[in-house]
Amino acid sequence: MTEKAKYVVSVMVSDRPGIMRGITSAITDMGANIDDISQTVVEGYFSVILTATFDSECEPKAIEAAIESNFGVGELSIIVQACSEMAKPAPVVDGEVYMMIVVGDDKPGILKKTTGFLADRSINIEDWASCFDGGSVSYIGKITVPRGVDVRQLQIDLKRELIDLGMNASIRHENIFRATNEVGPIKSLLR
Amino acid sequence: MIGKSEVMTTLRMMQEENLDVRTVTMGINLNDCRRDDIAETARAIKEKIAQRCGRLVAVCDDLNVEYGLQIVNKRLAVSPVSILLEGRQKEDALEIAKALDSAAESVGIDLIGGFSALVHKGMTPAERMLIESLPEVLSSTQRVCASVNVGTTKAGMNVDAINLVSKAILDIAEATSDNSGFGAAKIVVFANIPEDSPFMAGAYLGAGEPECVINVGVSGPGVVARAVERLKLENPDCTLDDIAEEVKHTAFRVTRAGELIGREVAKRLSVVFGVVDLSLAPTPRVGDSVGEIYQAMGIKRLGAPGTTAAVALLNDAVKKGGAFASSSVGGLSGAFIPVMEDHALSAAVENGDLTIEKLEAMTAVCSVGLDMILMPGDIRPELISGIIMDEAAIGIINRKTTAVRIIPVPGGKVGDKVDFGGLFGSGTIVQVNCPGGAEEFVRRGGRIPAPLQSLGN
Repeated sequence: MTEKAKYVVSVMVSDRPGIMRGITSAITDMGANIDDISQTVVEGYFSVILTATFDSECEPKAIEAAIESNFGVGELSIIVQACSEMAKPAPVVDGEVYMMIVVGDDKPGILKKTTGFLADRSINIEDWASCFDGGSVSYIGKITVPRGVDVRQLQIDLKRELIDLGMNASIRHENIFRATNEVGPIKSLLR
Repeated sequence: MIGKSEVMTTLRMMQEENLDVRTVTMGINLNDCRRDDIAETARAIKEKIAQRCGRLVAVCDDLNVEYGLQIVNKRLAVSPVSILLEGRQKEDALEIAKALDSAAESVGIDLIGGFSALVHKGMTPAERMLIESLPEVLSSTQRVCASVNVGTTKAGMNVDAINLVSKAILDIAEATSDNSGFGAAKIVVFANIPEDSPFMAGAYLGAGEPECVINVGVSGPGVVARAVERLKLENPDCTLDDIAEEVKHTAFRVTRAGELIGREVAKRLSVVFGVVDLSLAPTPRVGDSVGEIYQAMGIKRLGAPGTTAAVALLNDAVKKGGAFASSSVGGLSGAFIPVMEDHALSAAVENGDLTIEKLEAMTAVCSVGLDMILMPGDIRPELISGIIMDEAAIGIINRKTTAVRIIPVPGGKVGDKVDFGGLFGSGTIVQVNCPGGAEEFVRRGGRIPAPLQSLGN
């Protein structure tokens, strides 16, 4: 019996209807099962990352070709890799989930400074989004703060870090946002 | 991840609209602190409060940082002190009050409630003694708050107790005349007092409550007012049912924030979580006013006909939103109308739009009663009794809590302004339209029997 093989597929393409059908039908028609998938659109650019399990090993180039055949020549950028065992489960950081919100006038350097601040403290970014409103921007990051980090000091340091850029930043526990926006019992939010 | 707009909505409520947790109140049963010697009793009280409540303020401060949600007040409510006074002397009341005062100070608490007596059906000697001790107690302590329950739907109204407490209120004001009678702001006279309200000055730990419990009072009038204003911007022709729906959804969010904090505090202190009191409690700050909500609804002059209906709409919508948000809703849960603590209400009283009589009507459909109202220092005790009786009657007949917290200002005349500062706010001395004429009725004393509504079984 041949061993099953898992691959990760990343595709970027200018957004239009039918993209997901083109990608998923190519993979499914190769006899694979799609295990997980996430997509987003940024300023008209569609991006998707998915993992799929095939009945047996196959060439990444063959998967790329199957997907490309459903699109115009040069329409998309695609990367296919065999899944590494090292990329498997386990949260990258053991800690509490917070939401970081950075608000101010848009300018170069905000993300570099903010993400550098987080990386220097081993704080993992789980999710990231932005909202633009005229000339101002709000970055919303879902981050995991390692246990033992002094959140009070973290707040002070973050504000200090971004003050030169004129940005207002705060870090608040995710639960306050979940409590005020979800309908499940509050008890379920507490560990 | 939670949606961007949801994150920004919650952030806006916290940063711009004064969403906060108004109070985290720990209830502690002190009945086991009774000793033969009063000094030993006082020591036991201090030890128990220190042991149970020692970390309350620190835990609240930690949560403030983690959640970015301000916890405005950390408070204590104890079992009725009258129980500790049974068989004791009047001077013992002061001893216990000072022990409570000192214990609260040592754990960083600004107000401690429970210097209370439940006398709705009759008074024990200790309960009478407690009421009579109030002028000395409230003028000699900083943090102690008192409450007296004079009526219930089940028991009717104890007019003898009302007459006793009315005289005490005047004496309290006189004993604190150097601060415009401020002592009277620390006593609330109730009908149908809730056993689990976290809000001062009326908080105490009821007989059916746990040994130690965390109750939370949420607020957020600013959040509700801004929500109504936004709704009007989006839809200038919105109807009252649209407004009720908006208030309901907002109250849901506010209540959930309160329950989250309350449960976290309880967990970290290994104490039972009790209730969320989802009252809209104003502060004197602009943007944190219940009166502003009515104005946002379209009541431009508070006190105009329609105001009572606006109060009813708000109170009901708040309850509906809160009831869905949490299964642990209790306390007073509704909209407060404490005149001095709400700049919009205070201004309406000052300019004569909002009278005591109109406020009384509003209390029939909101959560409490005539609250934080300044009156002339020369009013007679029978007038105070009459006001309390009217309020109690509204509560007893409508099966709801009502309360009176009026402050006779020694030497003060109608129109004089008084500023207590801080959360107690400022206001103008007012008078009822008809200050005399019911003395004979009031002086008869006795009890007004329980109404037909009491026969519910």
